[in-house]
Amino acid sequence: MNAAELSNKLFATMIEADRSGAARIVEEALSDGMPPQQVIAEILDPAIVRLGKQWEEQTMSLAQNYVASKIAEDTLLRCIPKKDERSLNKGAVVIGNIEDDFHSLGRRSVGLFLEAAGWEVHDLGNDIPAEQFVEKAQEVGASVIGVSAMMQTTALNIRKVRELLDQRHLNGSIKLAVGGAVFNWRPELVAEVGGDGTAHNAVGADELFLRLRSETGGR
Amino acid sequence: MSCGTVWLCCGVLRNEMEELVRRGKIGGELLFLDSMLHMDPLKLEERVAAALERLCETSDTIVLVYGDCGAHLLDLVRKYRIGRVPVINCAQLLVGRARYRRLMQEGAFLVLPEWALRWEQIMKSELGLNRSVAQDLMGEHRGVLVYLDTGIVQVPQRQLQAFSSYTGLPWRVEAVDLDVMLESLLAARAESLTENSAREQI
Repeated sequence: MNAAELSNKLFATMIEADRSGAARIVEEALSDGMPPQQVIAEILDPAIVRLGKQWEEQTMSLAQNYVASKIAEDTLLRCIPKKDERSLNKGAVVIGNIEDDFHSLGRRSVGLFLEAAGWEVHDLGNDIPAEQFVEKAQEVGASVIGVSAMMQTTALNIRKVRELLDQRHLNGSIKLAVGGAVFNWRPELVAEVGGDGTAHNAVGADELFLRLRSETGGR
Repeated sequence: MSCGTVWLCCGVLRNEMEELVRRGKIGGELLFLDSMLHMDPLKLEERVAAALERLCETSDTIVLVYGDCGAHLLDLVRKYRIGRVPVINCAQLLVGRARYRRLMQEGAFLVLPEWALRWEQIMKSELGLNRSVAQDLMGEHRGVLVYLDTGIVQVPQRQLQAFSSYTGLPWRVEAVDLDVMLESLLAARAESLTENSAREQI
């Protein structure tokens, strides 16, 4: 079975919430000798992109997405190198869910993808006030803060992070990445909350963070 | 135009809304949509939009008793200039923001009375979660099932025990005072009345 067929099968397991079936597909690919990076790029990434599309079209429920995303996270964990074997050479970033938001799944996936790509990720968790994001970013020298929100009402709390960065004249040195399902449905919300950019899914996070880091003058 | 308030509500709160009317805490007309519409967000938005389109012809004070349950629900609130309860979901409406935060930090999975009776249908049929997957997922993200007892129906001990066994999580009951929900409802009604005045001045 080629990578495209395996990706189709993985996508089907995501929709059907067949977590063990997903694990078998990934194990099969790895044991057949496919390199983990290829499993991520050619099996997992296309499945996640399709998943995101269905989510944007609202043809799946919150709960179904929750289960499917969990399977994606399992797959990633099977494929990325262990923490102490990774080279974290892209610099520090801070991520978390904004105040009042408790939907951790997307953020955790983004964190995993970023770590796999070589970022030093400081994940603050759920329900994080603006001050904590900015203070942590200053403490660890992060070039990007990534803030996640699932719903429109909670996404609007991200404006407080923007205001704080501007008040402290940090807008040139720390960029604000925003993400979460609601930004895919409502792209105009990125500007409304003062975000410097967004990615449609965890797969695009590395590219976004690299772009934002370069805008701070970092390489 | 009717002067009374129309409350367009998620069916998950039917008993609680009817109880508040019985107690004379709120007045007006109650309309409910099936809570299972949450399993199909597009359909939920379509049904809410259709109801609002119809209600706006006949009622001047409309309150949407829904959380942030779809990507475009807030657009509907703006479009029809109605009030909406200032919460992210129905559980937060019942317990209030501070208590909701404490429960989330504890890793609680909040079970509403109507939902408790349908847990099997939702978990098995709608989500396709077999026992093993349900236990993996819930165990990773949650620590306890908390049934929000609004005091209207008997605590469904048998269903909660079965849900607990299915998910592998312990369960407990917490009492909920409907006055917390009432406060949000009245705030939303006040918002709707303000919108009314604004409309009349245009």
